[in-house]
Amino acid sequence: MKLATKAWRALDERLGVQGVLELALHKEVPRHRHSWAYYLGGLTLFFFAVQIVTGILLLLYYRPTAEAAFESVQFIVTRVPFGWLVRSVHSWSANLMILAAFAHMFSVYLLGAYVKPRELTWWTGVAVLGLGMGFGFSGYLLPWNELSFFATRVGTDMVSKVPLLGHWLLRLLRGGEEVTGATLTRFFGIHVAVLPMITAALLGLHLTLVQRQGMHVPSSREAEARRRPPLKFFPNFALRDAVVWLGGLAVLAALAAFFPWELGAKADPFASAPAGIKPEWYFLFMFETLKLLPAHVVGIEGELLGLAAFSVAGAVWFLVPLLDRGGASGRHSRFFLLLGWIALGFIVSFTALSFLGVFE
Amino acid sequence: MDADTGHAPMTRKRFVNWLLGTSLGATMAAALYPVLRFVVPPEVAEAPVNRVLAAKLSELAPNSGKVFRFGSKPGLIVRTAAGEVRAFSAACTHLNCTVQYREDFQHIWCACHNGHYDLQGKNIAGPPPRPLEAYRVDVSGDDVYVTRGA
Amino acid sequence: MSRSLLLAAPLLVVASAIAAPRPGTVGAPGKTAQDSCTACHAGLDDRRLQAPAQAASDDIHHRQGVSCAGCHGGDPTSGDAAVAMDPARGFVGRIESGQEPARCGSCHSDAAFMTRYGANIPTDQESQYRTSRHGQGLAKGDRNVATCSSCHGAHGVLPANDPRSAVYASRVVDTCGRCHGNVALMTGYGLKGDELAQYRQSVHYAALTTKNDLSAPTCNDCHGSHGAAPPGIESVSNVCGTCHLTQRERFDLSPHKDAFAAIEQPACEACHGNHAVIEPNDGWIGVGEGQVCGSCHSVGDAGAEAAGGLSSALAGASHAILATSRRVDAARRAGMLMEEAEVRLEEAQQALVLARNEIHTVTLARMSEQTQAVGRATAGADQLAAAAEAEIRFRRTGLFVSLGVILLAMLALALKIRALER
Repeated sequence: MKLATKAWRALDERLGVQGVLELALHKEVPRHRHSWAYYLGGLTLFFFAVQIVTGILLLLYYRPTAEAAFESVQFIVTRVPFGWLVRSVHSWSANLMILAAFAHMFSVYLLGAYVKPRELTWWTGVAVLGLGMGFGFSGYLLPWNELSFFATRVGTDMVSKVPLLGHWLLRLLRGGEEVTGATLTRFFGIHVAVLPMITAALLGLHLTLVQRQGMHVPSSREAEARRRPPLKFFPNFALRDAVVWLGGLAVLAALAAFFPWELGAKADPFASAPAGIKPEWYFLFMFETLKLLPAHVVGIEGELLGLAAFSVAGAVWFLVPLLDRGGASGRHSRFFLLLGWIALGFIVSFTALSFLGVFE
Repeated sequence: MDADTGHAPMTRKRFVNWLLGTSLGATMAAALYPVLRFVVPPEVAEAPVNRVLAAKLSELAPNSGKVFRFGSKPGLIVRTAAGEVRAFSAACTHLNCTVQYREDFQHIWCACHNGHYDLQGKNIAGPPPRPLEAYRVDVSGDDVYVTRGA
Repeated sequence: MSRSLLLAAPLLVVASAIAAPRPGTVGAPGKTAQDSCTACHAGLDDRRLQAPAQAASDDIHHRQGVSCAGCHGGDPTSGDAAVAMDPARGFVGRIESGQEPARCGSCHSDAAFMTRYGANIPTDQESQYRTSRHGQGLAKGDRNVATCSSCHGAHGVLPANDPRSAVYASRVVDTCGRCHGNVALMTGYGLKGDELAQYRQSVHYAALTTKNDLSAPTCNDCHGSHGAAPPGIESVSNVCGTCHLTQRERFDLSPHKDAFAAIEQPACEACHGNHAVIEPNDGWIGVGEGQVCGSCHSVGDAGAEAAGGLSSALAGASHAILATSRRVDAARRAGMLMEEAEVRLEEAQQALVLARNEIHTVTLARMSEQTQAVGRATAGADQLAAAAEAEIRFRRTGLFVSLGVILLAMLALALKIRALER
């Protein structure tokens, strides 16, 4: 008997893995007009895996103090073999991961996949997206360059607008009143320990649920899905998944080659902020909306109102499996579908307009 | 079947499998190679920001000086006539020219506008408005290490 | 001969009686003078008579044991005004300004006496003063000129290194300005009265006041403290050259040295001014509008040709540094290691500083030596920047190749899928 088979037999006798394998081999993926959306989750996972690998590699040389952070990134990028590549890939993959996550979330929403029995999957997913943006926000500061320092200062300023707890939250986030080396150390701990731990738990739950419950078919496509033979997960869907992942890798390589991530200049807390400081693109729609609001609206501070509005919107978004009455019967309502399109349109247009400089 | 060569003919299936194996292998190698090179530490293990091996003691005669580099910034190491080793920033506080040690003056001098500094780094004549920043010197055997404040 | 001696003798006795420090009026150095003069005058209503007594506590003379009587005479031990201010006891009352140099000099010129207050205290003030324009004017009977108390004060005299003193380095210009800034007064002496205003525009004044660089020159550093006189033609370059030695050495090598002396043109002043010495820049070189060479040279003459050559050499050098700096900076921001290039740029910068020194030789050959060094250093840095840019392109190509490999793998997978699902 071959060694591999022997090893497998031994594992199965102890862990009962054969059952898992059977499940995996029998897993099927339905086919219909919108089944292209099934690749998005996996793509997000792929970019996340790239982040973990490149992140651990960067950890081998990075130093999380204000005195040494910039210099250590400079060291990685100039003296460590392929350091420039690892760093560029890490920065680009972060952006691609969040882009894929948003695409995945919106496709799930618009296809109504959050309805019963997938409420938990939706909640863990939204939470993981939030964690992903937290990864992005905390990681952005770590090179301690001019741009990231001021972007963090602007971003954390928003937190202070929360009523009652605002100032306390600000100090908690910044590790003090201002953005300093204390902020850097704190963000580093959050980025490499706290967030990974929570993400591992929630993402693990999310993936387990998907495996247990299988893929959702939108109610409008049910007839088609029944008509067309489903794809076997192994090897057919998996091979296609691999193609998509390689495509993602290709995009990553192209971006790292043609738009390598800049090192910039070391942060100087006493210098004045350079013109046009903006947060990362996935925060832009919120940032520009808050800037557009007038200083005061019926006596309430404009920014506070904006934050409240976003909080309410976020809460609705999160709770949609419960709010969508039609969800109980497995069909989701037109109203929430419309809401989803409006949300997508708002986010895409505001982000695009911000890039075009319309808000300057 | 071509019995002569002993190989099965290259069917489409075999070609596809070969292509798949080779290209995936190449992709993985292209990804793995940089990772492996990255993990092996470079020649210079640390960014030489604050501490450098500036000179060998045996190469520094008494009453002589040597310019060394902290990254791109110049430093001056001086061995006094009495044999003591001192180190300073070599950037003149006037207009940033690189200063030098003058054996005839037995102190530090700047060629640009005739600035003079004593062996404590204090500006004693000419245009420099401030003393030279002093660095810490540690001699370990024949190695002279210079450390500057963070 | 003997007749004049006979006449002179009593005068000398009287003079020395007036001039010499009175025993009993000078106490131990470091011991504040105790005298009835300050005690009594402090309590007077008349402001004019009270003020000197009030100033006594800070006054260096009092603190060193020299009481009022040390200058004014009289008996400081007596509380009786008639006794204390008795001319028989040497009281002279108000010291007339013409008498000041002799009066102050009676102690301050006595080296043996002054050593008790410090080992190296200068004692040449009076003799220097007599050579100065102020001293000469005084000798001719001009009572408008400055005397000792004009600058040092009469009461409340502080040592020159005390920041509150009127003759502290950063305050000298205000003290001199009390007279020399008065246009009406100065016109009478043939002076413009704008020298202080001019000086306040200079880099020297800025260094002194804003950068607190006490080595920067003020009025007395160039004109003398007590022997105050304008520097003569030969001495202008001596004066400036005390600090600016490198420039002075080069000026001495230039054709300007003899040429200027021949037309009685003060050396450094011709281009840099004397009071309003401002930051020079490369744009000064030439015969055009606002350019210094044009005050003597005109278009087409040898000087103008030389100026043109010097100017373009400098312009070329500074432009090379600017262009290369930008290139190196761009490469560094992109993440390339540019330390070596930055070292070359620093060398280039230093050569440019030395090139600017060479202006004073007005010799193109000497300046070219330095500007060529600039060129070599920037060329080195440029080479390194080009290498960095090439490396960036190489990386781009490498990633392009791996892109090809990935696309090939995608193709292979697609074929496999097709094969499987046939």
